[in-house]
Amino acid sequence: MVEVTLAVKNELGLHARAAARLVRTANRFQSSLRLERVDGTLAADAKSILNVLMLAASGGTELRAIAEGHDEAEAIAALSGLFENGFGELES
Amino acid sequence: MIADASSKPAERRWQGLSVSEGLVLGRVLRIHRGTKHVYPARIEVGDVAREIKRFREAVDQAKTQLLAIKDRAANLMGQDHAYIFDAHLLMLEDRKLSEEIENFITRKRANAEWAVKVLGDRLLSVYAEIKDDYLRERGSDIEDVIHRVLEALSGERPAYLDLVEEAVIVSEDLLPSAVAELDLGHARAIVTDAGGWTSHTAIIARGLGIPAMVGLEDLCQHARTGDGIVVDSYNSEVVLHPSNATIAQCLAEIQRRAGARPAAPASGTGIALTSDGLQVRLRANVELPAEFAGVSKYGALGIGLYRSEFLLAQPGVMLSEEKQYRAYSEVAELAGENGAVVRLFDLGGDKGGDSVADSERNPALGLRAIRFCLLNETVLRTQVRAIIRAAAKGQLDIVLPMVADVSDVMRAREIITQERAKLEKENEDCGPVRVGAMIEVPSAVFTAEKIARVVDFFELGTNDLVQYVLAVDRSNDKVADWFRSLHPAVLESISRTLKAARDAAIPAIVCGEMASTPAYAVVLVGLGATDLSMTPSSIPRVTRVLNGIDSRDAVAIATECLACATADEVEEIVRERFLARWPQLFPPRTLPAKKTQQRVDHMQDRER
Repeated sequence: MVEVTLAVKNELGLHARAAARLVRTANRFQSSLRLERVDGTLAADAKSILNVLMLAASGGTELRAIAEGHDEAEAIAALSGLFENGFGELES
Repeated sequence: MIADASSKPAERRWQGLSVSEGLVLGRVLRIHRGTKHVYPARIEVGDVAREIKRFREAVDQAKTQLLAIKDRAANLMGQDHAYIFDAHLLMLEDRKLSEEIENFITRKRANAEWAVKVLGDRLLSVYAEIKDDYLRERGSDIEDVIHRVLEALSGERPAYLDLVEEAVIVSEDLLPSAVAELDLGHARAIVTDAGGWTSHTAIIARGLGIPAMVGLEDLCQHARTGDGIVVDSYNSEVVLHPSNATIAQCLAEIQRRAGARPAAPASGTGIALTSDGLQVRLRANVELPAEFAGVSKYGALGIGLYRSEFLLAQPGVMLSEEKQYRAYSEVAELAGENGAVVRLFDLGGDKGGDSVADSERNPALGLRAIRFCLLNETVLRTQVRAIIRAAAKGQLDIVLPMVADVSDVMRAREIITQERAKLEKENEDCGPVRVGAMIEVPSAVFTAEKIARVVDFFELGTNDLVQYVLAVDRSNDKVADWFRSLHPAVLESISRTLKAARDAAIPAIVCGEMASTPAYAVVLVGLGATDLSMTPSSIPRVTRVLNGIDSRDAVAIATECLACATADEVEEIVRERFLARWPQLFPPRTLPAKKTQQRVDHMQDRER
């Protein structure tokens, strides 16, 4: 199991487009991938867009990503990359 | 081609506002966001597998449709507008939802429709609770997806896939987001119950060169997909269930028009020449990629107005400098040697910048256009950098939307100068960029001669000018009678602004929708305009009319109009003088209708 804390950097948060990218990425991996708000209020399966949208993670929200499976390290690395560049929506 | 006569309902006529000219005979394609009625049915245990199979097939069918829609949206409106359909696809592929639905079918022995409806509604209620406004609105996307699956289950194909050839789109109102879903390239006409001259429907219909009418009030309640319909926007009339006589008449008229139409210049010069030798330049207004082809097709003299905010698919999400740079480079290349004027993001107000305007009580008077840009400096600086860089690829100019006075211009110019200096320091390729002001609010009209000293050119946005000078919300049907482009106060504002530009020896381009109506274009020339920008498809028509007039007559008529007290008086003068002077150019129906008479009729109706 790999666990990492990630911050939502883009202003609009995990809205439709960002969530779509996240879910597409998550589905590339075999491992299970969970996202939880660090305050523990909500959790989501990162492979379900409906779940991810319901996290209502606006800009600045901190999320814990937990991966479990044989490609868990790669999955977490891919997810971290997405969060890091704000789902491609940060001002360049 | 229209339904057989045996059980045909009686012919019915509606009057509306013509926003794009033409005459077509076709079939109704009713677009609505109506709720689908679904009923529960208890199924046999043995049929559970069959229901699950039906559900999966419906999902597959919906997916196939969405993939096609996504491609169409990308072609018609640009890649960035297609993203939302990707989210829709993921919702369909969402294992959590499909598992829940399949479990529900098994446990409750429910029919697939009922399971989709119940779980869909449950999901929607959860979304309705989300505090974040933007995310809560995603509920409408879920609704859309559920609707699509239910439609697939009922065996109905979305009508627009079948009826493309002769479809007349009939809708309460077309939301910008709904536009992507329609194969507008194949639509014959668009008619809506709501909307005005400057509504999205109107602008897009003119861009595509298909007839459109709005303000038909209750047509939607009566029209069903497949009904025969005639849209005659030359006469501001829609006929539902046309009788055989009406159809014959309509076909004859279509043929007559096809024969009578002078050969449109395949590629005009973009310059009209009045009989007394005055040159009037005709440029293109564009926003969506779908309209780009029209710029050369109709021979526009470059792009007079590029509405950049249409690049933004979503309120609040800015495009990176690189993406903007690519988009503006494309516009610069498209415009050719005559260049393009890029209007800075006109966000806020009614322009779809929801996240900005949400909390304002009076968005049209609120944080929009240049005010929004000045308060969101990062946005402004990024856009300015992208434009200056793209200007190295072809001539690009910047126009500042909705400036109130000189101070707005000075603040924006300072930022533009700073960004240019930075780019030069970074050794980026930069092109020369002139800076102009949109004159569209009264304060700018009254200080036009001062503004003229600090800008390189003027643009007159007549849509907003009419709205602000007359204090009439252009999207509010109830006050549509007060939205009068030919109001003497509007004409005075235009005349004043054009004079200020002439005195300062700077160009002034009139770029509102007014310019695309031939009669109005003549009035504008009479007021001193020599540079018009309009929907590309209107250029041949306007050129033809301007080529046929003597500009001195236009000046004389415009001077008479300026002396009027009311819009009714102006319209009366335009109607009478134009008919007397240029009967061959202006058949009576192309001129403003007698408003006064209509009003009297209305009042009599009320008294009855």
